[in-house]
Amino acid sequence: MASDLVLPGQPIPLPRGPVPQLGRGVYEKDEQVRASLVGVPHFEGSSLVISRLRPQPPAPNSVVLGSITRLSPLQALLSITVVDDIPLPPGEEFTGVIRSQDVRATEKDKVKIGDCFRGGDVVRGLVISLGDARSYFITTARNDLGVIFATSEAGATMEPVSWQEMRCPKTGKIEKRKCAKPEGLS
Amino acid sequence: MQSTFDRRRINGPEESLPPVFISEPQDTFSNTPVARKSRKVSDIRPIFLQPGLITQANGSAYIETERTKIACSVYGPRQSKNTAYNEKGKLNVEVKFAPFSCEHRRAPLRDAEDRSIAVAIQQALLPSVQLEHFPKSTIDVFVIILEADGIEGCIASGAIAASTALANAGIDMYGLVTSCAAAVIEADIWVDPTQEESNTANGTLVLSCMPALGIVTNSWQTGRMTPSELLACIDACSGRCTDIHSVVAQGLLNSAHDET
Amino acid sequence: MASARPSPIIPTATAGKTSSHVAQKEANKAAIFQRLHPRIYLERFLEEKIRPDGRSIAQNDEGDNAWRNVEVNVGSITTASGSALVRIGNTTVVCGVKAEICEPDLDNPSEGFLVPNVDLPALCSPKFKPGPPTEEAQVLSEKLNEVLGNGMLPLSSLCIHSGKSAWVLYVDATVINYDGNVFDATLLAMVCALKNVMLPHASYDPDVNRTICTRPGVDPTKPSRKLVIQEDLVPYGFSFGVFACSHILPDPSASEEPLLDTSISIILDSHAQVLAVSQLGAGVDTEYEASGPDLDDTPARKADTLAECISLARNRLAILLNKVYDTMN
Repeated sequence: MASDLVLPGQPIPLPRGPVPQLGRGVYEKDEQVRASLVGVPHFEGSSLVISRLRPQPPAPNSVVLGSITRLSPLQALLSITVVDDIPLPPGEEFTGVIRSQDVRATEKDKVKIGDCFRGGDVVRGLVISLGDARSYFITTARNDLGVIFATSEAGATMEPVSWQEMRCPKTGKIEKRKCAKPEGLS
Repeated sequence: MQSTFDRRRINGPEESLPPVFISEPQDTFSNTPVARKSRKVSDIRPIFLQPGLITQANGSAYIETERTKIACSVYGPRQSKNTAYNEKGKLNVEVKFAPFSCEHRRAPLRDAEDRSIAVAIQQALLPSVQLEHFPKSTIDVFVIILEADGIEGCIASGAIAASTALANAGIDMYGLVTSCAAAVIEADIWVDPTQEESNTANGTLVLSCMPALGIVTNSWQTGRMTPSELLACIDACSGRCTDIHSVVAQGLLNSAHDET
Repeated sequence: MASARPSPIIPTATAGKTSSHVAQKEANKAAIFQRLHPRIYLERFLEEKIRPDGRSIAQNDEGDNAWRNVEVNVGSITTASGSALVRIGNTTVVCGVKAEICEPDLDNPSEGFLVPNVDLPALCSPKFKPGPPTEEAQVLSEKLNEVLGNGMLPLSSLCIHSGKSAWVLYVDATVINYDGNVFDATLLAMVCALKNVMLPHASYDPDVNRTICTRPGVDPTKPSRKLVIQEDLVPYGFSFGVFACSHILPDPSASEEPLLDTSISIILDSHAQVLAVSQLGAGVDTEYEASGPDLDDTPARKADTLAECISLARNRLAILLNKVYDTMN
């Protein structure tokens, strides 16, 4: 609806009553709620928001997709390319790190990074914190998180057979990964 | 002056000079202002503003005010590299003149003018961007001046284009920034001066503000003017900024409609 | 560029947005897939005989939409002696020519200079950062210098006074939006900007060792002039990419370019004669490991590729010439 579009700085008229919770894309100043983005203000649950359709940096609890760029005994580096279902433009990326204690929920001290990820694997993860100056801290310690796409040593796309194994369709060989539980495949 | 040999570019002769013209009837160096033909001294030049033309960028805007032509794109928020952890985001503004944008060819080496315009635009935008939403990140604003007609006009149009591009990029802002220049010429206030006009001015002012909030974000005054002239300039500029705000709003609404 | 009013429809990477929430989600899914698996994404489109931006696969019949739309505008930059804005699809290039006066080279006392340079600023694409010219910009400038130096503009026509004074034309192109095939767009912008140049009348005064110019319209006996352009030798560029050794993609876009094995540029003159052919990447007629379906007849296929590109370029030339002719007149 045309008239509902607001611009940054524009007051958002609210029905009389208690001021709603304010989410992203809106702010309050001098008892006036205003927009901070171009868009249509609407309610998500009890909070008033204006959704962002543009790529944004990872924040705690963002679901991210990315590919593994580097492995060490202690951690795996992740080049984040999709944040909350919005892909970053080609060439843009954020660096995330999956520390060995964040790979899975159980037996954290027995994790071998090399048995969970390989370079080039596409991983779904959750941002735990903004991390340090260099990278965001990512966890895969949940059933739906982990490797969602991997290529075998023979060069074929592998299928998950359990939460910690994948099979190469070409050679039938099993390789170790921390797999995400498949959901409808994307 | 032509810069020295640069192996990363195609090089011309060692030295070349812009053409020298035989003196013309009217003395071009006189300091008497030429009366405006197409607009009143209180009018701004018509603005053409189009957000979203640079599809490779997260957000962009192209602005044209008669001869002044500026393109702006916004990238990011990008992860800040090689910097310490920062709770707040960084707003980085870079301005570049195309080599053909001015009367004299601008050799492709950064000079001081680029940077002073970049700082002026950055200062105009800073109070409007909610940088606290972008920890560890940098928002890159790149401005290219394709044709310049006065440095004041470049700063004002550049700030308008940049703010529009930020809104187009979905960067959280307190309000849209608009900007306008005025010059004190003899005893009058001329709004939105051209290069030629500001050459004859005693002093100039560029005022940037967020009309929706009634807040001034930056003012940049050079040359001589009395306090009352300065106040008159501020008045004139802030009035025009409100007019420009509706141009920006219309541009953003139109492009938002096209996208949905 | 007042005349370059952009079309209201802005096809962006997020162009999949529609009012419907479901369609939005589907478009997002496709965008995510493209971001993660760009190669497979392109393969799937090509299997359906279509390019990701909706173009058809190259055919030799006319009227196909294998190429993106071209728009040309000239003369909008008043600070330049000549200028042009070219759009190929979303790729946008602005070129301005600045004419200055210099002393001719000792070796060529009666010739001027033509100095083309391309700038790929950080503004035009996320892959560039501020700073000195990237390798890509240097290669591009070099390639354009070679093509423009083919004689379309005789350098002797830029001489004002032999050994003393000559014009130097700085042909500077700035890429505003980098959506692939920047070479064709820049070459066209440079050619159109040169055709748009008006040089003021200039004469060398040996007594004071200075060159004096006359502003246009001041003295009817000393008129400004256009450049002496050899229409027969004007170069037009047509670039192709070869994907997976099996698909020829004319006018590749920014999302296709990084996936190409081979880039081919055909330079034609206005009579469709080949002026130059350039090829970057793993060659068309060299041996490479192909695992495509046409493995058996690969050598023949490879030999054909260049010929096919030339013939596709010739078909396209007519359309382009019409466009340029319309703009210039």
